[in-house]
Amino acid sequence: MDPMEVFKIEVAGQEDFGKKKYRELIMDILQDLGLIRSIGRLYVYIDVMEPIFAVFGLLRSGIPPLTVKDVGDVMKVEGGYQIKINDEEHMADLLRVLWDRYGRERVEQPVRDVVIIASDTDPAGLMVADLEAEFLQDLTDGLVRVAPEGFRNRRNEMTKDSFLFIAAEETLTPELIAKTKEKIREMENA
Amino acid sequence: MLEPVMFTGGLYKHDLVIELVEDLGGYVLQKNVTQSEVILLILIPSEDKPVLESKIKELRGELVRAPLAGTEVAVVTPTLAIHHLPHTACDIAEYLRRHGSKTNMIGLARGVGQEIAQINEYETSLINEHDAAVFIFGNFKECIRRKEGLYRNISVPVVVTGGPEIPKAEMPYAFEYVSSIGRVAHRARKATEIGMLDRIVEAVGRALDKTRAEMAKDPLTTSAPRVMDAVREQVPDVEFSYSPLPIALNLNGLRVKLPYDSYKDAVMAVAFDEGVKLGEIATVRPSRMKDYIIVRILPASETGFVF
Repeated sequence: MDPMEVFKIEVAGQEDFGKKKYRELIMDILQDLGLIRSIGRLYVYIDVMEPIFAVFGLLRSGIPPLTVKDVGDVMKVEGGYQIKINDEEHMADLLRVLWDRYGRERVEQPVRDVVIIASDTDPAGLMVADLEAEFLQDLTDGLVRVAPEGFRNRRNEMTKDSFLFIAAEETLTPELIAKTKEKIREMENA
Repeated sequence: MLEPVMFTGGLYKHDLVIELVEDLGGYVLQKNVTQSEVILLILIPSEDKPVLESKIKELRGELVRAPLAGTEVAVVTPTLAIHHLPHTACDIAEYLRRHGSKTNMIGLARGVGQEIAQINEYETSLINEHDAAVFIFGNFKECIRRKEGLYRNISVPVVVTGGPEIPKAEMPYAFEYVSSIGRVAHRARKATEIGMLDRIVEAVGRALDKTRAEMAKDPLTTSAPRVMDAVREQVPDVEFSYSPLPIALNLNGLRVKLPYDSYKDAVMAVAFDEGVKLGEIATVRPSRMKDYIIVRILPASETGFVF
């Protein structure tokens, strides 16, 4: 079962095998990169004769930025605050943010998963990482991986809630882009 | 008739297998030691196979036929980018290795696209040094058809793999076309996927048989394993080569992994009991792979004798 609400793929010409395989391929790659849950609808249009490859997707509601309280438990201790880290993946980002905010001399890390801050300001609400920006980066990487490798002229239009990725072997002309957008619109309305 | 087999077993007492093979007049082509296990690729006279089998049974080892042993196969992808690697290419290469072939993976510099796909002279001649080549293409019929130019000038048999069914008549330059693979982003694990790997191995086997049949019409002056044995004995430096396989066998010769300029004379001077030197019965040239030496044994029609 597809985790997405809509996943349509259309391939021009007699390329049924390619259509089936690209469906699997896109799922595999998006799953590998952990992107599939953030995409609501996906429309893929491929024309091998042109040749052009286009992906249009609607994103699920935005991902909130990661704050200090998301990566660890913040406790008030004598002379400051203590953060007990639960998620070490963003450790480097966390330390950088704390250093910027409080200065290196006020941030102490006595053991691997504990950080103590000598300050009265609560760090719980500080932003550690902008997950949305990371997601968009991963998404672009995923789309480049999905597109056939020879299609090296690419165009990527990203908005807050959707993305349109077009790749072709020849130069992307405004007419070609308009035609592809028209195709995608037809698929959406079908 | 020498039969290619593969021995897998414990390291303990495996020397006995090697000794037995040598006593029977066979050849050990390759020896891979992985911790306490050893894998040997062996050519053994077929009439003596039962003797080897009973020895191996005694040592609790395993002996299987390795139809591709003693051959070198190129697995060619359009480029080395993530689109083509690792899954399909590595699965195919690994599967060919398990059947005994020496497999080299080659990524073309500009093999992608329909209009822009190209292969250069260096890549072509590097692939031509192998006994067969497997070209891995994608999922669209039209793209596979248009990539014909990549393998049109390859003189060794080319097995093309791709996704859709394409009649063989539409691909006149391919030796065989194996369908239902193509671009995938996961490893082959289902029975159908493994079956497809088997079909590739069979196709490569047929391609090599065709070459063997052609060579049988004008046999080589001497067999490549025999030359390998002589080179190993008389150019001892080859054992110090950093390559995992210092001498790679082909059907019609071998590649000695030593620098050409320093060792060509030593290789040419390798002598046989019959009183001939390797330089007289083979061409010794620089290989297109690094600065190795490539030896091509001349057929009987050129030297006038077979031994």
